[in-house]
Amino acid sequence: MSKIQKTLRDNIGFFFVIPWLVGFLIFKAYPFISSFYYSFTDYDLFKGISKHTLENYINVFANKQERTALIITFKYAFMTVPLKLVSALFIAYILNFKIKGVNFFRTAYYIPSILGGSVAIAVLWRALFNDEGLIRMIFGIFGIEGPHFFTNSNWALFMICLLRVWQFGSAMVIFLAALKGVPTDLYEAAAIDGAGKWRQFFTITVPLITPVIFYNLITQLVQAFQEFNGPFIITKGGPRGSTTLMTLLIYNNAFGGTYKMGKACAQAWVLFVILVLFTMISFWSQKHWVYYSDEDGR
Amino acid sequence: MKKLTATIMTGLMATSLLAGCGGTTTETTQNTDSQPSSEKTTEAAPAADQQADSGSADSYESCTLTFDWWGGDARHEATIAAIEAFEAKYPGITIEYNYGAWSDWETAKASEYLSGTNPDVQQVNADWIGKYDADCTTYLDLNTVSDVLDLTQYDASTLAFTQDSKGGQAAIPIALTGRTFYWNKATFEAAGLSTPTTLAELEAAGPIFKEKLGDNYYPLVLTEYDRAIMLAFYTQAQTGEPIIDQNGNFTLTQDQVKDALTWITSLEENHVIPTIEYYDGEGAESIDKSARWIGGEYAGCFTWDSSPSSLQNALPNPDDFEVGCELMDTGKAGSGCYVKVSQMFAISAKTEHPHEAALFLNYILNDEEGAKLMGTQRGIPESKAAYAVCEAEGAIDPVVAAAHKSVMDSNPMYWNPLFDDSSLKGDTAVYNTLFENLSYGVRDGSYSIDDAAQDLYDAYVAVAPAK
Repeated sequence: MSKIQKTLRDNIGFFFVIPWLVGFLIFKAYPFISSFYYSFTDYDLFKGISKHTLENYINVFANKQERTALIITFKYAFMTVPLKLVSALFIAYILNFKIKGVNFFRTAYYIPSILGGSVAIAVLWRALFNDEGLIRMIFGIFGIEGPHFFTNSNWALFMICLLRVWQFGSAMVIFLAALKGVPTDLYEAAAIDGAGKWRQFFTITVPLITPVIFYNLITQLVQAFQEFNGPFIITKGGPRGSTTLMTLLIYNNAFGGTYKMGKACAQAWVLFVILVLFTMISFWSQKHWVYYSDEDGR
Repeated sequence: MKKLTATIMTGLMATSLLAGCGGTTTETTQNTDSQPSSEKTTEAAPAADQQADSGSADSYESCTLTFDWWGGDARHEATIAAIEAFEAKYPGITIEYNYGAWSDWETAKASEYLSGTNPDVQQVNADWIGKYDADCTTYLDLNTVSDVLDLTQYDASTLAFTQDSKGGQAAIPIALTGRTFYWNKATFEAAGLSTPTTLAELEAAGPIFKEKLGDNYYPLVLTEYDRAIMLAFYTQAQTGEPIIDQNGNFTLTQDQVKDALTWITSLEENHVIPTIEYYDGEGAESIDKSARWIGGEYAGCFTWDSSPSSLQNALPNPDDFEVGCELMDTGKAGSGCYVKVSQMFAISAKTEHPHEAALFLNYILNDEEGAKLMGTQRGIPESKAAYAVCEAEGAIDPVVAAAHKSVMDSNPMYWNPLFDDSSLKGDTAVYNTLFENLSYGVRDGSYSIDDAAQDLYDAYVAVAPAK
């Protein structure tokens, strides 16, 4: 075997990695690095860069519109994530019982998640809850004037949250798999000791599925901070900016007619740092509440 | 080692073959004829008279042109019919077309301009020359193809609307458009009124609608952008000057802006127009798709003279639809209205087939057959030849004609494209946010007319320095 052939054989793995590596460099690393650079400029897509500045970062906190978008994003995430996790866990717990037609119910609850990312479901949501929609019509049958779901600032954000909470199917399936993994003998022993269903749930089920709760928490948190479809399609960020999340603001700055890419990059980086911070806090906190059944229980 | 070398050589050959597949569009079209491409690269189209003299305006090469536009279904159908007729008349030229609704159309086109992948021929908006052709390298100067594209069909004053900063003819104007009022006379009759012919009559109709028809009935509906244009008309009627003049200066004082905003607010307060909250609450994409317009609850709207058909056809009885007149009769300087180029056609500066692109444009704009097929789906054509054809064929929709006449008869003023600057017009730009804030804010006390006047004045001055 020649030296070249030997070298090729020993390094053949690198050739297999090249397609991924090229994709990573072009579609991940390059945009990642270039967006960081652009975030310190006044880069306009059509006019280019005329100066380097820290203004973009300062404005995220100093400019009222951007600060409001940041606050609304936090509100959205802190409403959506807990509601979605609780709903998913609750329904998974019920569907874990041996009830008649359980497979039908599992499918039915999962369907909204299949439709979740689609534009169609957001359009449907808008049609259901607008002033001439079915929901207000039902209110009307009972002589009640329903709220203006999308034009009342107090309701609009909640409705956007509700759309995402409704799509709890994916988290529910993961919870369901975790619930199946809890040993039944623990429940039997607890029942013999007189523990009721709720007691069993909080003292056996929840502690044993905390790794899955943690996993769902992280993934849902990331999704919530990246939410875009709902407000973009349903409310366009209104009324009066009450559903303008950071992602929507980033899009509007980058592509909404003004093409302020430098500003949008800075906002994207701030959002990224916030997400990293929350993920780090979550990982740090897990030693206090997540139980892993390895040797030292961590 | 021999195997490795053979493999590499095979790979290189395959790559070169693949590279050969990425030829120009001319080659692609020619290959469909199953003839050797080397013979066809310079091959003229089959029509003998068209290929006989390669230097004449009528000669052309076989090629594929890309073309896109936005609009509604009726416009799509008319344009596709014209494309098919063109392809039949000029065999060898294929038009690859793409069309869609206006919503988010500009965002997609902006990325094409950035990447240099904009089509050979394109429908462009009135403010795109300033935005995307600032350095005069995006659109072809149409004077360079005027041997094919007959520019003499257009008035010089109209062509001036679509010149770039260096005086090149960046685009060709399809039609001029302005705003006018449209009424549902059945609703007015139900309220015991005739359709308004003066501003005072419109203002008086609000309380009467409320009293006789109920809270859900309004004589007029105005979106945020409608309000911005209405404000311009109102102030222009007062001052006799364009809101942004030909030198690019904003001509109003902050007090005049406040006065106009006070008037707009009074329309809401007097039940002449619904609040933004009420209008947005329905979630209708546009007024013609609003159940409230269709049902007669909105008895009037204020929109472009080129698009009354969809509004009329949405009504259960289209005969109830009536074209109004400009209403700024209380102004000191006429109606205060303006006209602008509704849309334009441009040829990409990067096109490999400027001659054929011009041939296509000339066909759909000036040719008897093409103009007839295109009809008035983009407004009353500015091309004299197209207008004559449409008129002779009875293709000019009488409603569109009446609306256009209403606008043109009202002594329109100069319109500066800065009025539609992207910082002012757009989903999240000033007009939308400001009029939304004003409509909500004056009711809950969170935003006053003074605040709005200050913000609007600042926004205008940022775009067009004060005179």
